[in-house]
Amino acid sequence: MTKVLIAGIGNVLLGDDGIGPFAIKLLEWQYDFTDNVELADLGTPGLDLPVHLAGADAVILVDSAKFSGEAGDIRLFRKPEILRHPSRARIDPHSPALTESIFLLELMGVMPREFLMIGMQGSRFEPGSTLSTPVRHCIPHIIDAVRRELIRLNVWCAPKTTVKAPGTWWDSLRPKTTGNALLR
Amino acid sequence: MISRIKIDPISRIEGHLRIDAEVDGGRVSKAWASCTMWRGIENILIGRDPREAWLFAQRFCGVCTTVHALASVRAVEDALKLQIPPNAHYIRNIILIHHALHDHIVHFYHLSALDWIDVMQIPKADPAKTASLAQSLSSWTRNSPQEFKSAQDKVKALAASGQLGIFANGYWGHPAMHLPPEVSLLGFTHYLQALEFQRKSNQVVAILGGKTPHIQNMTVGGVGNAIDLDSLGTLTMDRLTMIRSLIDEVIPFVHEAYFPDVCAIAGMYPEWLNIGCGAKNYLAVPDLPTDGSVSQFDLPGGTIFSGDLAGVKKFQTAADPDFRHAVTEDATRAWYKGGTLHPWKGQTVPEYTDFQENGKYTWVKAPRYNGRPMEVGPLANVLVGYAQGHPLTRKWTDVALGRISAVARRRVTVDQLQSTMGRYAARAIRSAMLADLAVKHCELLTNNILSGDVATHNPPQFPKGEVEGVGTHEAPRGTLSHWVVVKDAKLANYQAVVPTTWNASPRDSQGNVGPYEASLMRNPVADPERPLELLRTVHSFDPCMACACHTFDPDGREIARVRVL
Repeated sequence: MTKVLIAGIGNVLLGDDGIGPFAIKLLEWQYDFTDNVELADLGTPGLDLPVHLAGADAVILVDSAKFSGEAGDIRLFRKPEILRHPSRARIDPHSPALTESIFLLELMGVMPREFLMIGMQGSRFEPGSTLSTPVRHCIPHIIDAVRRELIRLNVWCAPKTTVKAPGTWWDSLRPKTTGNALLR
Repeated sequence: MISRIKIDPISRIEGHLRIDAEVDGGRVSKAWASCTMWRGIENILIGRDPREAWLFAQRFCGVCTTVHALASVRAVEDALKLQIPPNAHYIRNIILIHHALHDHIVHFYHLSALDWIDVMQIPKADPAKTASLAQSLSSWTRNSPQEFKSAQDKVKALAASGQLGIFANGYWGHPAMHLPPEVSLLGFTHYLQALEFQRKSNQVVAILGGKTPHIQNMTVGGVGNAIDLDSLGTLTMDRLTMIRSLIDEVIPFVHEAYFPDVCAIAGMYPEWLNIGCGAKNYLAVPDLPTDGSVSQFDLPGGTIFSGDLAGVKKFQTAADPDFRHAVTEDATRAWYKGGTLHPWKGQTVPEYTDFQENGKYTWVKAPRYNGRPMEVGPLANVLVGYAQGHPLTRKWTDVALGRISAVARRRVTVDQLQSTMGRYAARAIRSAMLADLAVKHCELLTNNILSGDVATHNPPQFPKGEVEGVGTHEAPRGTLSHWVVVKDAKLANYQAVVPTTWNASPRDSQGNVGPYEASLMRNPVADPERPLELLRTVHSFDPCMACACHTFDPDGREIARVRVL
């Protein structure tokens, strides 16, 4: 059976950089998946990314992206579009490593067969901020893109019959909220 | 002639590490390390429940998640004087050992090996000769001529396609690269194998921590793992057995591939054992407690000043009274308001000026220990342990020095580890130690559970009024400390003094340079347009300009720009 990894990338403490992890939470709350689908909030793994991608047959990444669009616009990238850009000299292990990870996985012969990255243009990235309003409104487009890709891959997913109220632990980044709910 | 080199990683929203160096007569005469990213994440924590701080702290940085989670809960436990059960120590220890092994392997093979290995020389290697060389170095089972041939074919195919991918930016053919093709092929083959063992190490963290990269089992007072040897969904004997078998697979890679590779490469670049000495002051905190009362540690801590190993001072506790009082952060040359403050009084108020080489020039404050800059990291860890006569540190350091000396055909001493190559060697020595300790701590946990102790958590009680605490962890990049002030069960202050803050620190009010800056002095630079030597020295510290804001930029061009001014 096709092993699918749907992973969010980004730092949830830095506003729209948290698009990826937020989209993953929404998928967890609103949809049911079969056992061959794994959802993961990978944060900002830098050079650790290959460790998480290796072993999957198909990967769907969700990340904030920067292209000439409005906040909330999405763009889809397949492997060739990502590899077209030169890899970058590296000074530390933290910088984003998507191109590098794909090269490395290919070289090692463990690159997932199918690869899609869903990028959404963000607008604010200050420490302690939450998702901006345009981004929050456009998150359903990401969910749609994930669902379309799963259909293409012939992988089942369906809306849950009872949907849990959305909320993330990092939502308490909003000022003056005490988040004891976390400790439950 | 004096030329000025600027290595400036241009990333999109965040900046990272920028190095400015003046080169006079082929050697660095002045250097500045600057972090170009605003880092005010600690401010998010003020006013919060101390029990949830670790959840936020582990998002400071995407690569070092676990270490911040651990330092955060230890800081609150210290403030509350809360002891945690032995099982909680062992579970935390097994997690941090495997995080560190994973991290050290990534550092050597994926961040820095290609500073020393010229990939373009690999097609010239003889796989059979590589195999006999490799087999003389260790009994690693995957050193066959076929393994080397297959790795070499991959490089040949890339070279033939003209699509070098991640290798497009290497400084191939640089005069400072001089490994024989066979050694390059050896290192490169293990570079390809490394991912498998990083994954296994990561699986251990996932089994105990619930998930990676963001573990879920940390809690103030212990760990959230329930132990019941007969029940599913808890830590069972099956899971302990699974952890043990993963450990047994990771250890041979560390002892028989990574460690010998580093020793061989160090022996072939002996000149780098005399280049890149840093601040010569070293700091490491004790870690891996072996009992519930936290009086014994498997990694020793202490301080060394001016490179004087005989004068080592040992720390008796995880946050030694000396350590609590000696640490300050000096903001004179950093883009913050305020002078020199103890972390409990620390402030994070920005005051940006632009890069001023005689004024403020970085977002990193200058931590000082009784006013002195300190190098932290595996080198500090190994030197402090060696100087104290710590048996496990002595054992692996002596093995490494013996191997390096044999390859270099000259006697290499422990003092020469205070160098660029010494940092690579120290990281391999520390990894070899941690591989031994992985087994030990797995056994400590299993035996303690079998003796009938299944406690994993002591609930915290918060007093009225104000208490202060510090949580320390000897992380892969060195001494990490989180400093908390808790007032009426809320965080009144939070400061993280991270390893890279120590190492990348700028000049202070007295004009003392930080460890990166000191280590770059007198570095050779054969070609200012391709400053490979500077990257080797900076990479030797394993820089971590953390909490990166990560945004994929499809239009992005190069991330590091080298400019000769």
